[in-house]
Amino acid sequence: MSNKPNANGLGAPLARLSRRRFLAATAGVSAVVGAGTTFPLAARADAGLVALVHTQAAGDSGPIDSMMGRLNQLSEAQGFETRAIYAQDPATYETVLRTLGDAGASIVLGTFPVISEAFKAVAPIYPDTRWIQLFGDAVDPPIGNLVTVSYDYYLGCYLSGIFAAHVSQSKQIGFIGGISIPPINADFNALQAGVHAVDPEASVTAAFAGSFQDPAKGYEIASQMFLDGIDYIQTDSAATDGGIIQAANEREGAMVSALDPAQYPLGPASVIGVVSLDFGQSLHNETSAALGADWQGGRHVPTGLGSGVIDFLRSPLYQEQGPAAIVARSDEAWPAVEAARAGILDGSVSVPFNTEL
Amino acid sequence: MTEFHEFMVAILRSGTPLVYVTMAGVIAQRAGVWHLGLEGVMIVGACATILGIVLTGSFAAAIVIACVLCVAASVLLWFVIEKLGANPIIAGLGLTGLGIGGTALAVQALFGSLAAVTAPFGVPRLGAAFGPYGALSIFVLMMPFVVWGMWVLLCRTRFGLRLAAAGEHPLAARSVGTDPARVRLIALAAGGVLCAIGGAELAAGGLTIFAQNMTAGRGFMSFAAVIFGAGHPIAAAFAAMFFSLVGVAGIRLQLLFGASIPHDVLLSLPYLATILGVWISGRMRGGAKAATEASELRDY
Repeated sequence: MSNKPNANGLGAPLARLSRRRFLAATAGVSAVVGAGTTFPLAARADAGLVALVHTQAAGDSGPIDSMMGRLNQLSEAQGFETRAIYAQDPATYETVLRTLGDAGASIVLGTFPVISEAFKAVAPIYPDTRWIQLFGDAVDPPIGNLVTVSYDYYLGCYLSGIFAAHVSQSKQIGFIGGISIPPINADFNALQAGVHAVDPEASVTAAFAGSFQDPAKGYEIASQMFLDGIDYIQTDSAATDGGIIQAANEREGAMVSALDPAQYPLGPASVIGVVSLDFGQSLHNETSAALGADWQGGRHVPTGLGSGVIDFLRSPLYQEQGPAAIVARSDEAWPAVEAARAGILDGSVSVPFNTEL
Repeated sequence: MTEFHEFMVAILRSGTPLVYVTMAGVIAQRAGVWHLGLEGVMIVGACATILGIVLTGSFAAAIVIACVLCVAASVLLWFVIEKLGANPIIAGLGLTGLGIGGTALAVQALFGSLAAVTAPFGVPRLGAAFGPYGALSIFVLMMPFVVWGMWVLLCRTRFGLRLAAAGEHPLAARSVGTDPARVRLIALAAGGVLCAIGGAELAAGGLTIFAQNMTAGRGFMSFAAVIFGAGHPIAAAFAAMFFSLVGVAGIRLQLLFGASIPHDVLLSLPYLATILGVWISGRMRGGAKAATEASELRDY
C-alpha cells in the first residue's frame, strides 16, 4: 500500500480518481456553481423577479437591446428585480426556464419562435409564474399561465415596398435577410408584393448573409447589390445591418430601410426609413399587464399596424440631410404609404403571409 | 472590365483578414500547435482596433493596442499549453470562447451597452492612385509581402528550421540547444500580431464597426486554410483567398440564381469548398497527415 508518486507524478489518491469520476464531479460542481451565480434568485423571488430569456445576442441595436432597455426602465420605475439571460444553445432553453421556475420568478419573458417548445413544456409545471413569449405562435390548447405575442412585421415590409417602388429610380429593389427562415421569407414576399402593387415591372432581389451578426458579409452583399443597379435595400438582419448601411454610405443616392430608429444616425444620408418593430414597447406593454392583478393567461396577442409596435417610418435625419431629389420623391410617395396603411387597417388591402421563397 | 475589378476588390477585401489569420495559423502549426484559438484572437484584434480608434482617436495607437492584446492572448494560450499541460485543441477552443465573451464584456464595460460600436474612421485606404483598388486598405497592399516574408522566414532561415524542428521533433530541437517551448512562444506571439492585423482589417478595413461575434467563423476557416495548404505559407494563403473567392461567388450566385436555387445551398458553398479543399489537400499533398504529424507538442 505504497503512497509514493506514480509514473505521472501523482499520489495514489489522485491517481485513483478516474477520468469519468473527475468529469462527473466537475459537471456537478459546474452545475451547482452555475445555478448559484447565474440565478441567485431565491432571495429575490419574494420581491418579484422578472426575467428576460433572449435567444439572440444583445448588441444588435435592435430588438434585444430595445427589450433590455425597456425592461430596465420598467424595473427602475416599478422597483422589481430583473435578469437578462442569453440562452444561446437550444439544448439549454428548458433548463434555463426550469431554473427560473424553481427560483419562483414571477414573470418570465422569452424571445422568438425557437423557444416555443421549451415554453410549452415548462409553463404548465410552474403555474405561479407568468410566462410571456414574445414572437411566438398561438398555443393550442391554450396554457393558462402563458401568453404568446406575434408580430405582423411583414405588413411594415409591405409598406416599405410601396415606398421603395415610388422612390427608387432604377426600379431595382434589394432585400438582405440574416437567415432564410419562414418569418424573414414572409417579410421579403410582403416587400415584393408592395413593390409590385405599385410597379409590376420592378425587380426585387433577395439575399441572405447567413448570420444576424456579420456586418462584413452585409457590406459585401450590399456592395454587390448596389453595383447591380439596386438603389433601395430593405434590411432584415439585426447587427449585420451595420455593414449594409456602411456600404450605402459610400454610394451616392443609395437608400436603406433598416429596422430601428437607433440606426438613423449610422446613415443620415442613406437610411431613408425603418420598418420599425418596437420590441421594447411590446415588452413594456406585456410586462406591465402581467404585473397587474387582473392579468389573463391562455391568450395569444397578435400585434400589427396601429398598435404602436409595428410601422414603417421615415427618418427625420434623412429628410434633413438626404439628397434633395430623393427627399422630394419620398414626400410624393408618402400619401401612397398612408393609403396602404389605412387600407390594411380597414381590411380593404390584404397582404399575403407567404413563408416560401 | 469594371465588373472584373469590382469582383477582385470584393475578393481581396474579404480575403485579406483570412490570409493574415491563416499566416498566424501556419506559424503556430509549424511550431506544433493546432491553433483553434485563431477565432478568439482575431475578434480581440477587431474589437481592440475599433475601441482603440474610438477611445484614442488614432489608428496607430489602436493597432498597437490590438497587437498588444492579441499577443497577450497568445501568450496566455502558450502558458496554458506549455506550463499547465493543457490539450492545445481544448485550450484553443477555450481561447475562442474567452475572446468572444471578453470582447462583449469590454464593450459592455466601456459603453454600458452591448450595441455595435462604430468608429469615425478605419484603416487608411490606398487612395485614388490605385484606381479601382483605391478603396482597399493598406493592409491589403501589405498582404502579399507578409506572405512572402513568412515564406522566407519559415522556409529559408535558421529560425524557420528551428521552428519546424520544435514542431515536428522537439527532442531533436532540444539536442541542438533549441528550447521548443521558447520557439513556440515566439511563434504564438508573432501569430498574435498577425491576428491583430487580420481582426483590424475585418472590422476597420472596409467597415468601421465592431459587432459581437462578428468574426462569424472566419478564424476557423483560416484554420481550415492552414490544413488545406498543408502548413505552407504560400499554399495556405492561396487556400484562404480561394475561400474568399467562393464566398464572394456565393453572394453573386444568390443575386443571380436566388430565385431558382435555395439560398441555403448557395450560402453553404464556402463551407462545402472548405471540406472539399481539406479533402483534396489530404489526398494530394498529405496535408492533414502532415499536420497530424506536426501536432505532437510534448518532448519525446
